[in-house]
Amino acid sequence: MESFFEWLQGLSIANWIATDESIWSFPTILFLHSVGMGLTAGVMFMICLRLVGVGRPLPVSSMRVLFTIFWVGFVLNAITGSLLFAAHATITGNQPIYYAKLSLIAVGVVLAFPLQHFVQGDASDGRIPVRVKGMAAAALAVWVGVITTGRFIAYLQ
Amino acid sequence: MNFVHLHLLLNHVPTVGTIVALGLLLLAFAKKSDDLTRGSFALFFAIALVSLPTYMTGYSAEAVVKERPGVNLELINEHQSSALLALVFMEATGVVAWFGLWQARKPTGRSRWAAPSVLLLSVITIALMANVATIGGEITHPEIVSQGQPSASIGALAPAALRSAAIRYYQFHHPNAWPTLEALHFIGLSLLFGVVLVGNLRILGFMRTAPYVDIHRLLPWGVWGFVINSVTGMLFFVGQAFQYIDNPAFHLKVLFMLLAGANVLYLTMFDDVWALGTGDQAPLSAKLVAASQIFLWVGVIYFGRMLPYIGGAF
Repeated sequence: MESFFEWLQGLSIANWIATDESIWSFPTILFLHSVGMGLTAGVMFMICLRLVGVGRPLPVSSMRVLFTIFWVGFVLNAITGSLLFAAHATITGNQPIYYAKLSLIAVGVVLAFPLQHFVQGDASDGRIPVRVKGMAAAALAVWVGVITTGRFIAYLQ
Repeated sequence: MNFVHLHLLLNHVPTVGTIVALGLLLLAFAKKSDDLTRGSFALFFAIALVSLPTYMTGYSAEAVVKERPGVNLELINEHQSSALLALVFMEATGVVAWFGLWQARKPTGRSRWAAPSVLLLSVITIALMANVATIGGEITHPEIVSQGQPSASIGALAPAALRSAAIRYYQFHHPNAWPTLEALHFIGLSLLFGVVLVGNLRILGFMRTAPYVDIHRLLPWGVWGFVINSVTGMLFFVGQAFQYIDNPAFHLKVLFMLLAGANVLYLTMFDDVWALGTGDQAPLSAKLVAASQIFLWVGVIYFGRMLPYIGGAF
């Protein structure tokens, strides 16, 4: 694993992100990662809050378009997150909290599919099943966890 | 004009402004006018926003004034901690006033607790602001100090726990304090940004099967995000003011935040978005406001993220 991290960090793009002093390298990628977080976690918070019962008159079916934003944000952050990781792979790759973050993201993505299936289905404006409410509550906690672990990575190096 | 001039200009807003807004609220009670009540709520909300840079520019004034001979540093500390206490009450007044505006839109009618709560909070705020102004005036006007004794406030109105030094000590005394504040700041960001997206995307023409009345129900969650981020953001600032006051990214972040914050009133109380029913298209003017909202909040994120790189913050 260590040799993989070293290879990754040795790539010219990783080296550029880590060492370039302009605001167009590391700072801009970090900014895009924050916007991606706002898109992904932001719309997921809204969808899940509605599913657990907040803002009840709002038709759940009207929130279908939000999943497009969720996935756009997710892809943006998968790319920018990989670049940020590559720049400091030998440090971040040895942090247990980084793997906690990746695991939480995996759970968040696994939960996103059945939630999307429900919201885009014909029954989404009917009664919300307890199973869906439970998954929405879990997804809220998971994305709060992703943000928290992600933030702590910056301070544990 | 520099930030010291700005402090001397802005400090009239939370002092004189709250008295004007309170007068308007009392007039609303006398006339039993819902319109005047809403007007005073909007004014309290705007004053609460402007109070944030009023407090922050105080640190720029401190940096200049404390170099001068004969300036009483203890008086500056008293002014600063009493100002933070008054700011807390000012922001609470602004948040409760916003909830009053939001509730006035509810089909069940306006809330009965909002106006009395704003009245009580604003009276406390005015008393605290008067105390702040009294101490602040004496910092550079020794001629108004009677018998050589500064009328420094009684300790309770300038609690030592609200001094920058005390908050800075807490931030570094516990190794997880700063990262925890950062995590909360990003959770608040996501909550606020989610509501900003949903509300403004509806106006732009997405999610059109939802009437705006239903979107309006979600607005308090955005305000909770804003409250979380004001509190955590002010804790960063109070503890580490000198890495922000001369930081151009910070100046732009605050400017964008004030513009975006004022914009929130548009989503809360304006009729042209409130009237959007199922399937309705918003007028072009509303779409321009909605697009500017999203742009301004992305700008807040940009300049927030650039604090360490354009300026020298950590």
